[in-house]
Amino acid sequence: MRARLRALLAKGQASWNVMLVSLLVLEFVIFGATNPKFLRPELLFTSLNDSLPVFMISLFVTFVMVTGGIDIQVASLVGLTSITIGVGWQDFSLPIWGAVAAATVLAMACGALSGFLIAYCRVQAMVVTLGGSFLYSGIALLISTLSSTESYQGIGGFPDEFKFIASYRLAGVVPLQFLIYALLLAIAFILLHKTTYGRRVFLSAVNQSAAECSGINTRLVIMSTYVLSALSAALAATVLTAYLGTAKSDLGADLTMNIITVVVLGGTLSTGGRGSIVGTMLASFVMALLRFGLPLCFRISTQHLNIPIGILLVAVIVARSVSAKGLGLTSRLTKLITRRGGADPRGGDSQERGGQRHTREASS
Amino acid sequence: MKEISRRRFLEAACASAGMLVLAGCGGSTGNAPDSSGDDNAGAGEVAGKTVAFIPKVTGNAFFESANDGAQSHSREWGFSVDYIGDATASVSAQVSVINQAVANGVDAICISTVDANGVSDALGKATDAGIVVTTWDSDAKPEDRTLMVSQGTPEILGQMLIDLSIAGLKERGIDAEKDEVGYVWHYSQATVTDQNSWQVAAEKVIKEQYPNWTNVHENYYSNQDAEQAITIGEAILDAYPDIDLIICNDSTALPGQLQAAENKGYDAQRITITGFASPQSIKSYCEHGTIFNWGLWDCAVQGAMGCYVAAYLAAGNKVKVGDTISIPGIGEVAVEPNDSIAEGAVTAEENNGVVLLPERLVFTKENMNDYSF
Repeated sequence: MRARLRALLAKGQASWNVMLVSLLVLEFVIFGATNPKFLRPELLFTSLNDSLPVFMISLFVTFVMVTGGIDIQVASLVGLTSITIGVGWQDFSLPIWGAVAAATVLAMACGALSGFLIAYCRVQAMVVTLGGSFLYSGIALLISTLSSTESYQGIGGFPDEFKFIASYRLAGVVPLQFLIYALLLAIAFILLHKTTYGRRVFLSAVNQSAAECSGINTRLVIMSTYVLSALSAALAATVLTAYLGTAKSDLGADLTMNIITVVVLGGTLSTGGRGSIVGTMLASFVMALLRFGLPLCFRISTQHLNIPIGILLVAVIVARSVSAKGLGLTSRLTKLITRRGGADPRGGDSQERGGQRHTREASS
Repeated sequence: MKEISRRRFLEAACASAGMLVLAGCGGSTGNAPDSSGDDNAGAGEVAGKTVAFIPKVTGNAFFESANDGAQSHSREWGFSVDYIGDATASVSAQVSVINQAVANGVDAICISTVDANGVSDALGKATDAGIVVTTWDSDAKPEDRTLMVSQGTPEILGQMLIDLSIAGLKERGIDAEKDEVGYVWHYSQATVTDQNSWQVAAEKVIKEQYPNWTNVHENYYSNQDAEQAITIGEAILDAYPDIDLIICNDSTALPGQLQAAENKGYDAQRITITGFASPQSIKSYCEHGTIFNWGLWDCAVQGAMGCYVAAYLAAGNKVKVGDTISIPGIGEVAVEPNDSIAEGAVTAEENNGVVLLPERLVFTKENMNDYSF
């Protein structure tokens, strides 16, 4: 049994997804049995609503992490977009959708700037986006001072056509913002896994010089992933602003760690070259349901939720690198041996990713 | 290979659907929801109610001691208080905490809001679900809640900060009326409602009555972060070594600023630092002679009062402006109109208004050991 589990785990993303689905099922069974309220669609959707910004942004941060980068600035772009919408609409009397468009363009420009520094000036993504997170949240606070509303009070009173994004429920149950997420999910999936662009994103991480030689403008590709994640932050910020009914410069500031956690838990390698939209999607559901179910069914107070979630994350990741021979420590050893001996004794072990791994190792 | 994994995937999905049905069946015979049990209590009885007590942020001495007060008082009053909150003070986190409370099926919510606009919809939904909403410490929009238990109007608290400062300056032989006083503010954030309103009220008094005071720098913020409060505090002293007065109207900024002053070798004879924080958190600095006085209100009483009025209204009682509510062990408090704390705010006919905390406290070396929070 254990051997089978191990074999299953060793098979890469698909089996990782199976594992995440099992976790989801386990959550439904345990939480549902403990407190049947958990299974009420109304409550489930309300709880998911609270996590939707993480859901949306993590899809596109997956792109960034597939290229081997990281994006710590998205959360600050949420605040920047939100306050720009508010100030643009209230103080510069733009039409509400005009304000949304302006804010989105601004966020994408910020994403492009960081992406440019990372891709063309070859500065570490961690450093650039960390700096970006301070810079953009600072700009957000600056923009809030342009408003007649004191910055500590959120800008509210948005028109109904805007609040519609968050208040409409299809058939009275499924919130519109959830449908927006479903649409983004489909777009992200097709873009990363079914298009040439997606293949280029993977290749840029796997072997940048080989990709360059085959005519891929890898720098542009890498930069574009930061624009995409900024765009998703802008969309999430629009939805969040409509949902909360308030535009604030510090909105979403607490999202960074949740987003990174979800992407990593979803099976994207922090070193790049491997990642899956479906995995990210499943992981975000696992996290959101855990955050909703634990307090509801086991009366764990919200403030202590980070403990079980931290344990889950570490346990899952450790279990994975121990079981999957192709990953973690063993993979480094394998790499070392291949470099010295020329042959890869474990090459056949991870059949599914076999082709990809060979390319990677050839490059190193 | 891919085919097989896809099939596995499908299998798992089917299994999950099956399990769902099972879970649904099993669940219906399981635990009963906890909202029942108060049927035998007549209207007007607070006993048996459940109140969700929501702080701005957890792990902060102010909110934790408010919770201690709410818990111990509610035990005497016979209802239960669920303390739920998030470790980050953000609107979105607080909205999900409110939704959680609604899902738990509580009778009432007593909340200190992070942002009044941001929690507006969530509180509206809670009210629609038949839950009584009261606020304490930091208010919601008056139309989103029933009663607010306020520590005092911005004018009362702004004036209190100035009085504390003047007393501290006087200890050092500085006449607040005539002598030059350089001062600066150090508190949590530019985006937090209550602290900014006190600062604005106090600035107004300073402009009108103490033109000899100079604000040497725009406000410093340390985001309710204990370490940041110390580094910001040291930065202030580096930039303005001869500053006379630092006002820290935040319970994290004050101890941080005092620690910074001690690190730099300042004491209450060289600099006046004052503000709002609990007596226990400042006690050691006062013993060292770094601070002369500081203030606060009894947050334990405030938290308990917030929960009491929540349970009181949840029990079916009705109040109007001018009525008094008798709270066992605390006393009689009057319901005042909303515009006593927010200018121009309207008050609904029934079950809407403000209840002021009976008293505010000033701490010095003499009385600081009389309080347990």
